[in-house]
Amino acid sequence: MMPHTRLAAALILAMAFFFCLRSESWDPCVQVVFNISYQCMELNLYRIPDNIPTSTKILDLSFNHLNHLNSHSFSNFPELQMLDLSRCEIQMIEDDAYQGLNHLSTLILTGNPIQSLAVGAFSGLSSLQKLVAVETNLASLEDFPIGHLKTLRELNVAHNLIHSFKFPEYFSNLPNLEHLDLSNNKIENIYHEDLKVLHQMRLLNLSLDLSLNPLDFIEPGTFKEIKLNELTLRSNFNSTHVMKICIQGLAGLKINRLVLGEFKNERILESFDRSVLEGLCNLTFEQFRIAYFSEFPKDDTGLFNCLVNVSVISLLSLDLDSLEALPKDCRWQHLELTNCNFKQFPTLKLNSLKKFVFIDNKHMSTFTKFELPNLQFLDLKRNHLSFKGCCSHTNFGTSKLKHLDLSFNDVITMSSNFLGLEQLEHLDFQHSNLKQANDFSVFLSLRNLRYLDISYTNTQVVFHGIFVGLVSLQTLRMAGNSFQNNLLPDIFTELTNLTILDLSKCQLERVSQMAFHSLPKLQVLNMSHNKLLSLDALPYKPLHSLQILDCSFNRIMESKEQELQHLPRSLALLNLTQNDFACVCEHQSFLQWVKDQRQLLVGAEQMMCTQPLDMQDMPVLSFRNATCQMNKMIISVSVLTILLVSVAGALVYKFYFHLMLLAGCKKYGRGESTYDAFVIYSSQDEDWVRNELVKNLEEGVPPFQLCLHYRDFIPGVAIAANIIQEGFHKSRKVIVVVSQHFIQSRWCIFEYEIAQTWQFLCSRAGIIFIVLQKLEKSLLRQQVGLYRLLNRNTYLEWEDSVLGRHIFWRRLRKALLDGKPWRPEGTADADSRQQEATAST
Amino acid sequence: MQVLMAAFLVCTLLSPQGRGGEAWPTHTACRDESLQVLYQSCDALQDFGLSVDQCLKQVKPNINIRFGIILREDIKELFLDIALFSKGLSILNFSYPICEVDQPKFSFCGRRKGEQISYAGPVYNSGFEIPEGEYQVLLQLYTQDRSTVACANATILCS
Repeated sequence: MMPHTRLAAALILAMAFFFCLRSESWDPCVQVVFNISYQCMELNLYRIPDNIPTSTKILDLSFNHLNHLNSHSFSNFPELQMLDLSRCEIQMIEDDAYQGLNHLSTLILTGNPIQSLAVGAFSGLSSLQKLVAVETNLASLEDFPIGHLKTLRELNVAHNLIHSFKFPEYFSNLPNLEHLDLSNNKIENIYHEDLKVLHQMRLLNLSLDLSLNPLDFIEPGTFKEIKLNELTLRSNFNSTHVMKICIQGLAGLKINRLVLGEFKNERILESFDRSVLEGLCNLTFEQFRIAYFSEFPKDDTGLFNCLVNVSVISLLSLDLDSLEALPKDCRWQHLELTNCNFKQFPTLKLNSLKKFVFIDNKHMSTFTKFELPNLQFLDLKRNHLSFKGCCSHTNFGTSKLKHLDLSFNDVITMSSNFLGLEQLEHLDFQHSNLKQANDFSVFLSLRNLRYLDISYTNTQVVFHGIFVGLVSLQTLRMAGNSFQNNLLPDIFTELTNLTILDLSKCQLERVSQMAFHSLPKLQVLNMSHNKLLSLDALPYKPLHSLQILDCSFNRIMESKEQELQHLPRSLALLNLTQNDFACVCEHQSFLQWVKDQRQLLVGAEQMMCTQPLDMQDMPVLSFRNATCQMNKMIISVSVLTILLVSVAGALVYKFYFHLMLLAGCKKYGRGESTYDAFVIYSSQDEDWVRNELVKNLEEGVPPFQLCLHYRDFIPGVAIAANIIQEGFHKSRKVIVVVSQHFIQSRWCIFEYEIAQTWQFLCSRAGIIFIVLQKLEKSLLRQQVGLYRLLNRNTYLEWEDSVLGRHIFWRRLRKALLDGKPWRPEGTADADSRQQEATAST
Repeated sequence: MQVLMAAFLVCTLLSPQGRGGEAWPTHTACRDESLQVLYQSCDALQDFGLSVDQCLKQVKPNINIRFGIILREDIKELFLDIALFSKGLSILNFSYPICEVDQPKFSFCGRRKGEQISYAGPVYNSGFEIPEGEYQVLLQLYTQDRSTVACANATILCS
């Protein structure tokens, strides 16, 4: 048993290892651009994926486990231009690994622990321009097999183990080399011999970064007559002495830009001697930058003596707090003082200065006048400055100023309308606290101004002439301000050249119809983060060039569809996201417009409803018109139903008795009548009925059973119900006794009308009219129906003569006999009565 | 059974971290009698190392920290956002530019994807005392196009 379990365990173990270690995933790479660009970063790949199109130009294989690059590894991708192999654990690159990549211009090998690099590793890369081999365990440039890469422009071998600064012989083969990054290596000494190649050939445009190398010594004369574009030496020296020697070692160098300094996190120098920069006198350079020396002297006495001929100078993050002792013949044209310690403006006497950047000096408080007659560009942002009496040429001593940036400062009080600064083209006040900008036409004389930024300056626009004079203005940014009554008035009248206008975060609730009427060239309008309640398109109608309109982050609930037609035809993008859309049927046409204009609307999918509650946070696009149609239908159907029901109710109310009659007709059917006739008469004629009609009909032969209300109606039941149920339903015929009184009695007329209906509904021809007395025609005419009936129908007329009576009764009996069923029991009764009579006799 | 257990253990250790799946382990940045700082990476792609030299309730000016990470993004520009919470309430929000295009302040500014950067040095602050309690800190390092470089959820326990 034992060996079996062991075997099983071993098998499981082996399988576990197999699956764990080879848990290669076959996730597809991310397609960035179809057939062109693929991203396979961190996909646990152990080999180059073969399911990527051969037309791929950009391939990112970084953070995988390729380990080993065989020859012709990338032969599947002949079109490759960019190949990123960062952190692929590549230890070995064989000969011809990149063979066939004739279009490759960028190869990145960052972070690979390369141990073995074949001599022909980079062969074939005939177009390579940029090679990045940072952190690749490279120990020397001499052995780096790149001598044939004639097209190489940028070589980055930072953060390696290179000790020698020697430019290898093959550099003479690289005439296009422009950037060589050797930072963060182990270079300590630089000898004349190292730059022999550079002496032989001229790499005029080479920028060299040697930062973070522990430089100790530069042999004098090494750089003599060498020309470079840029040299960067940051955090290189561990003492001022070494720094001084090394700078002296640069003697003879002709260079465009020299950068000296340290990094904030790599500060080595413990002191800074003024004499350090003396060596710079032996160099020729145009631009000089010095940054982040912690122990830099506070004043400039004697510091810049060797920088007289420099044209561009930048001093960053130094303790410097004055520039009082500058050499008199300074030819500086651009001066940048960033994040230094100045407590007041340096009184510069630099007639040559054209550009002055003075930013992030934390200890400044007030602006003081200066005199720089040739200044064109002045940047004073982020200085906590307060500025009383801005702005005229006397403030800066120049009338040539084109660019003025006073943003991110403290209070700036406007007191002059840029007198003598008519050449200004760019003016930036954003995030400073602008005072008195509303009191007069501040910008009146700035007819050349192209760019104006007064965003977040706490300005409340009251004065409508605030922008008068800005006839050339192309960009106006005024976000984060406010307007009187939160209404955007017509203040842009003269700004006919405006192309970009930012009015976001201005608390606007309404826009005047004329607000934009004079801006035919406006292309971009930002109205976002305001408080607009509806999208009123009319004000935008005159903007014939408008392409982008941003109304996001407002409170827009809807817009009228007919108004939306006024939106300029040129509009290409409209942003309405983050509004308070009411997705109700009332605004159905607007919601439909949103759906139709999906191409125009930015992020149409992100437009959310806020009303009604059941639609909250649902996309506007999900609103269905069908719900509105449904609602309409429901409403119309219910209205119709109510109408019908009420009409039916009214009808029932009106024809209640007729209906009762109808129900009775159905119920009793034909034949089963209790009475032969129901007599309708006026109570005034009751004598005649009792004495003549009842006597003659009920006691005659054959006897007729009459229904008479005084005798046959059931007490306790409504008269109308009795009339219908007892009178009509149970009678075969109806006798109507027409008289003067009959016509005047409402009950009689009612009974007569019911009788007519009864005759019609139960389809019985059963109304017998008896006219008791001659009627006045005028009275009869009041009862139109009766009058017509009596004209058309045969009726019986009562005549109080013997002959007349006889004929009357005969005719009446005949009429009543019509349809009378043969009643045997009745005859039997009569027979038995006769028999009894005979028997008794 | 032990063999199986061993196999399982080896397997979990060697298997690559599932992307975006499980959370990263919680590390201790520093620990002392009265103060403890714990953190957990909230970047789906990677964990990172951070330690604070002194763990004192009375925070000294310019405390030293160590921080190391392998970059997944180029950091031409780098920004740090700090959000401090206590009992779910936001106390402090702070955004700080670490690297700007024109002025690489630190040696790691401008480094590119794949490079390993480390920072060992002071954090410039004025000294202050941490009041007793439990605090949550959300730290985010991100680049010019808002890609996350590092993200940490830290807990400060002060007693």
